[in-house]
Amino acid sequence: MEEKPFKALAKSSGHRGSGKSSPHDIRNLWTTATQSQPKLNVALPTVREDSELEGSSVGGKTRWSYNQGRESDDGEDKDSFKPEELDEHALMELEMRRGSSLGGSLEEDDSKTDDENASSVSSLSISKHTPHRAYWVEQQSRLPLPLTELMENEALEILTKALRSYRSEIGRDHFLTKQLQRYIEGLKRRRNKRLQVMVI
Amino acid sequence: MKLKQGSFLWYLYLDKLYCLLSVRNVKALVEYFHLLDVHRKKTLNDVLFYHFLHHVTDLKRNQITIVFNMLDWNAVGEIGFDQFYMLVCILLAQENHLEEQFIFRHSRPVFELLDLDGELKIGPSNFHMYNFLFKIKKQQLRDLYHDFDITGDCRLNYKEFKLFTIFSMNKYQESQKAVKEEKAVPKRRKCHKL
Repeated sequence: MEEKPFKALAKSSGHRGSGKSSPHDIRNLWTTATQSQPKLNVALPTVREDSELEGSSVGGKTRWSYNQGRESDDGEDKDSFKPEELDEHALMELEMRRGSSLGGSLEEDDSKTDDENASSVSSLSISKHTPHRAYWVEQQSRLPLPLTELMENEALEILTKALRSYRSEIGRDHFLTKQLQRYIEGLKRRRNKRLQVMVI
Repeated sequence: MKLKQGSFLWYLYLDKLYCLLSVRNVKALVEYFHLLDVHRKKTLNDVLFYHFLHHVTDLKRNQITIVFNMLDWNAVGEIGFDQFYMLVCILLAQENHLEEQFIFRHSRPVFELLDLDGELKIGPSNFHMYNFLFKIKKQQLRDLYHDFDITGDCRLNYKEFKLFTIFSMNKYQESQKAVKEEKAVPKRRKCHKL
């Protein structure tokens, strides 16, 4: 994957024979690299980890089968780990595909300048639609992020107070207290992770 | 009873005609309930329920206990999503001043909630107990028993209660019409002057 850009660079400098410095070519490569992003058929990384946990489809069917299909388990730790793994996996796939599409687009661009312009225009138009597609998918199956954030923050406040009641009434060592504590920690981890992603 | 401004429930709204949540709102509410369902039993126990209501409303401890006992109609000590949804609709109806409409539209479930003993009849004490939720005024209660207690046993069965809801709904609509007409009159006067 890493070799492709260098091969393309060598070809381009050989073909043009311009003798110009390589930074100009590299800048062109980065420009075409960003435009080549849309060549992605991978599923978008999930925002709502819960829907992934329940194995729901993008259409969110399990929301309607709330009273029927959900397995009850005390794996809130599982709940917090699984979605992280999925997100990382999906992100890695995205990176790999970007790399391959980068190599592919570079080889195409090196052939003819007209084709280069055409492909850059088409990929630019596609790249305009990519965020719209993600937005549409989110709107169809998931709650908006600000609402999710509001809900999680509020739930955290409520559950933190509940934890104090649990500790005072049934003790710190009771399994329900420990379960609640683990759940709160998982929720905080999820929230912090999302905040980090937003900052980036 | 007031909802805490900026809380999640505060952003929800009822359909004004049917006094129910929209599909989108229900979806959000399901997610919220799932967040609070710490023990993965699809229910909230009394402690979680208390802290939830205490956080989002200004209800006192004894009022929250009354609400919990009212909703725990199976007497299992936990509240499921159906009861949670019902509670949210009641809270939103009160927040948005839709009590009469809500009771009219959902007279059967409201009657069953008020009928705590399961005797299929409700007395004045039932109304007093839940006055902070359904806001049936004293005068209304007097009219209720004066006009609708057909059987004369100082208690209302469902049919009598239903008649009451129809009557109070008519009264509410008439008062709304009167308010609208009062607002329209100054506008007409302004138009004539021009």
